[in-house]
Amino acid sequence: MSMLLKIVSDVLIAVGAFFALVGVIGILRMPDTFCRMQASTCVSTLGVVGVTLGGLIHALFVAETPMAGAAVKIVVIGLLILVTSPVGAHAIAKGAYKAGIRPDKPMETDDLGRDSE
Amino acid sequence: MSNTDLIIFAVLFGALAAVALIRLVKGPTGADRMVAADAADTLICCAMILFALYSGRGIYLDIAIIGAMLGIVDTMLVGRFLEKGRREKHVDAAEDSQ
Amino acid sequence: MRKTKVSAVIATFIVCYAFWLLLTWSVKPQELIAGAVVSLAAALFSARFFIHEKAFWLANPAKFFTGLCYWLFIFPGELIKANVNMAKLVLGGCKNVRPGIVKIPSELQSDYGRAALANSITLTPGTITMEIAEEDGQAQYYVHWIEAESDGAEAGEAIKGRMEKWIRRFWQ
Repeated sequence: MSMLLKIVSDVLIAVGAFFALVGVIGILRMPDTFCRMQASTCVSTLGVVGVTLGGLIHALFVAETPMAGAAVKIVVIGLLILVTSPVGAHAIAKGAYKAGIRPDKPMETDDLGRDSE
Repeated sequence: MSNTDLIIFAVLFGALAAVALIRLVKGPTGADRMVAADAADTLICCAMILFALYSGRGIYLDIAIIGAMLGIVDTMLVGRFLEKGRREKHVDAAEDSQ
Repeated sequence: MRKTKVSAVIATFIVCYAFWLLLTWSVKPQELIAGAVVSLAAALFSARFFIHEKAFWLANPAKFFTGLCYWLFIFPGELIKANVNMAKLVLGGCKNVRPGIVKIPSELQSDYGRAALANSITLTPGTITMEIAEEDGQAQYYVHWIEAESDGAEAGEAIKGRMEKWIRRFWQ
């Protein structure tokens, strides 16, 4: 039983690592600032959720001595990052747009630029 | 039962954070650098969770909580700075022209 | 400046004290008392920033379970779909992006509901809420979308999906 749970926790952490990898590749290779922001959202959603759930299972069932305090702290960290990351992304996106950062290639549609003129 | 898998994943997350720092060095605008720094902060938090489970010491989790809290604060700070900096310059220009 | 309501202070105190209990993770009497004092002080100072509307909306069980259902099942489903989509885009070489800012209307009225929808949109990879403007009592979201389409109604349908309907059930 413990072996099975260890495999489940490893698979969850591996899924988190895969989406973190996707996010980092996106940050490096996307063509403009706003697209890089979109890619970085991958890191702070499924990357963090995967690590949190995998670590939770590990702390509660797989470790030799179950660590309840550690499990609670892991959940707090995961929720904290999930709740606060959209606020930060929103602040950075709005700030970048107001600071006059635009992609090299014109955007498909730009309703915000049209309405704020 | 060995915990080698956890330390492998922790090193992987640390390496990903190091790769994200390339954008921090390269990034043409301030927003790019802040996005990369935010992603690196999140990845370091994940690595710290895994390392705490590997070593069995809870102290790393406390540090990860503080890291997550301060990460949002500096992201908000830079976001507000980008927004307000432009506006104040604009206001100054309008006052000069009067 | 907004006045501090008693119910708002109580709700903030409960949240702060729960956080304290989770972080200290012990039931020694001196830690419980110290936590109560610190949480009360924090609640008195920060309640008027933390609670803007009704403090105890969660006390309604129907709304509570609808909200729980949304955050535990509906929203993660949308999240996984969007993440897989993003992974396809990135691993396909970042070539097929069509970035654009679209304007979508929403019928939510309360501040909490609008904030929840904005955060849900931002959390799904591929869309970031940049600005909320109010026109004729209707909230207008300006959303940066990585696969933009110029048609407003279809864009709103594709971005909001099932999320707005569910949020309307517990935060009108």
